[in-house]
Amino acid sequence: MEHSENILLEVKGLEKYYGDTPVLRQINLTVHKGEVVVVLGPSGCGKSTLLRCMNGLEEIQHGDISYQGHSLTKGKTVWREIRQHIGMVFQNYELFPHLTVMDNILLGPLKVQRREKQEARAHAEELLTRVGLLNRKSAYPRELSGGQKQRIAIVRALCMKPEMMLFDEVTASLDPEMVREVLDVILGLARQGMTMIIVTHEMGFARSVGDRIVFMDQGFICEETTPELFFTNPTTERAKQFLDIFQY
Amino acid sequence: MQSLGVEVLFEGSNFERLLGGLGVTITIAFSSIIFSTLSGGIMGLLRTSAPAIIRLLLRVYLEMFRIIPILVWLWVVHFGLTPALQIEVSGEFTSIVVFSLWGAAEVGDLVRGALESLPRHQVETGKALGFSYMQLYRYILIPQAVRRVLPGMINLATRMIKTTSLVVLIGVIEVVKIGQQIIEIGVIKAPNASFWVYGFIFILYFIICYPLSRLAKKYELKWHSL
Amino acid sequence: MKKLVSRMSIIMASVVLMVSFTACGSNKDSGGGTKSSSGKFASIEELKQKGKIRIGVFADKPPFGYVDSSGKNQGFDVYIARRFAKDLLGDESKVEFVLVDAASRVAYLESNKVDIIMANFTVTDERKQKVDFANPYMKVSFGIVSPDKAPITSIDQLKADGKKLIVAKGTTAETYFTKNNPDIKLLKFDQYTEVFAALKDGRGAAIANDNTEVIAWAKSNPGFTVTIPEFGGQDTIAPAVAKGNTALKDWINTELETLGKEKFIHQAYKETLNKVYGEGFTDSLVIEGGKAQ
Repeated sequence: MEHSENILLEVKGLEKYYGDTPVLRQINLTVHKGEVVVVLGPSGCGKSTLLRCMNGLEEIQHGDISYQGHSLTKGKTVWREIRQHIGMVFQNYELFPHLTVMDNILLGPLKVQRREKQEARAHAEELLTRVGLLNRKSAYPRELSGGQKQRIAIVRALCMKPEMMLFDEVTASLDPEMVREVLDVILGLARQGMTMIIVTHEMGFARSVGDRIVFMDQGFICEETTPELFFTNPTTERAKQFLDIFQY
Repeated sequence: MQSLGVEVLFEGSNFERLLGGLGVTITIAFSSIIFSTLSGGIMGLLRTSAPAIIRLLLRVYLEMFRIIPILVWLWVVHFGLTPALQIEVSGEFTSIVVFSLWGAAEVGDLVRGALESLPRHQVETGKALGFSYMQLYRYILIPQAVRRVLPGMINLATRMIKTTSLVVLIGVIEVVKIGQQIIEIGVIKAPNASFWVYGFIFILYFIICYPLSRLAKKYELKWHSL
Repeated sequence: MKKLVSRMSIIMASVVLMVSFTACGSNKDSGGGTKSSSGKFASIEELKQKGKIRIGVFADKPPFGYVDSSGKNQGFDVYIARRFAKDLLGDESKVEFVLVDAASRVAYLESNKVDIIMANFTVTDERKQKVDFANPYMKVSFGIVSPDKAPITSIDQLKADGKKLIVAKGTTAETYFTKNNPDIKLLKFDQYTEVFAALKDGRGAAIANDNTEVIAWAKSNPGFTVTIPEFGGQDTIAPAVAKGNTALKDWINTELETLGKEKFIHQAYKETLNKVYGEGFTDSLVIEGGKAQ
């Protein structure tokens, strides 16, 4: 590969099983710095599991994942360290209910990264401003809408100053009118050059945000191509069928 | 001439004796509650995170206190265990030990229940933010569990206060027993004494337990939505 | 289902543990009652050295053992116990009263938590297996109370036609008459209040019960008298010590003999029981010198 110094994350020959059931097979994937990779596929194809493997939330049986050239599966990996570089936001609104918005955001920077309170707070306020929620900084999660909660969850992950973000169907549980505000935040991040892997069912969003589309089915990566090609001229039968479902 | 009976409360040092008995009740109940909270908290953590064999043992421990009446525990420890170990302890001491062991099992179960009731993704989110297990428990799980445990804890505390009336079996003279002593000596002179004495004891229990249940209610409402 | 099974297995495990626990306990009782407890209890010398003797008494059974309104132990048993302490340790304040319940009297001795039990403790064969009784200081037998207008002065009078004897169900008096005088008609009630009411309104000729009970009742009910204060089998009430504590038992027996010379138990009766039973029945209830006359 010609830009090997630009490779941030590399997955080679990854296999994962639940018992005897394979969920991920022969996964090879390379993510370059600043790249936005969108993973598509029908439910149960393994795309969320793949994302969780990259953050050490799932164990893998074969293959290797390396981050900035360091293997994460061979030898002892301190996932706590890696997770500070790779932020992740989930489908469920997973803010800590007993803390205010600001405390939710600052918990990681202060307790895990032991940063200066003033610096972290300023950083948090800047990020909150960017997502338009600075005025909600003293609110408790129960006082927020779903869309607001997801935007806060993104800010909380960003406040750890990650080099890369994983988004796992972050709009799947949202009411339709709130999807937009969350996707806009992610789109904004893409424009600023954040490296991201996004699992989503929002096809229009996938097409406009992605540098590359990875299509998965039954644990395999079936297609890996540009959004233009994928949406206009998919090569595999499965991808065609998948896209048909979204075409009314 | 039959008397009303209310005066037995103030006869001799009866009033002070009843309050003294209440002191014994409170000492046993509150020391036990403090010990149970400390050890029960640890037990609850172990029951959610320790190896399977320890979890099983703790479970058996809990069931032993659920199945075997506290009365039997008091008896066995006071008349069986401590003499067998050749240690001389007071009835109060035995009571606090038994009540603490019982409370620890119950608090442990409350804490376990609270921790397990926390959504799984709270753990994953914490992990994804780079928290260690210790930090996860300290900043995310325990603060949330405490809020869920509190109503059950206060319920347990009032149950423990009321169960202290059993300790008379091992010779501890607490408020109910003193009440009975007062009733028995007045049984011919003042047949209505029992009404007044038990009425007074009722008020004493109420004074201790009512604030606790109010507290429970308050926090239940406050943290309801969490 | 799986949850149910795991719960069941846990309950089973607990039960097994509990059974083995109690099995150990009873083993100790039957196997080594005297053996394990010998040397466990304090000798007379040690009691004197400590200057303290622990005597188990009732706290709520007037007039035998109770706590008065100033929190002081009182009663017939307590009165005698104080004298024991005075004669053994030189000062009656050196007694430490341990307040016991009827059900825990044996356990207190077995676990060496008291030196003597003096809590209206009736001598029975079953209890003799577990504790050692000293000589008695009181006796209880049956008594009959009847109206002054138609006194019943002998058991035979009750055999007459139309006469009924009132008893409470489940008492030893009921058993006694069913067994020894089947020709006497019994009128039985569950509650003592019914028993006494039946005598008052003339449904029966007399009440038979423990003599302490009928004596106390007659004392506070004018017009009725205990006409037969003492008949039938006799139970005795005695101090008890731990099984094998012969030294203390012997000391108590000697003490009772000495006290008999000054009629101390009569004195105790006068001080504590007179107001409940009246003077006339002292000799029906008291045993002086450790031996029944």
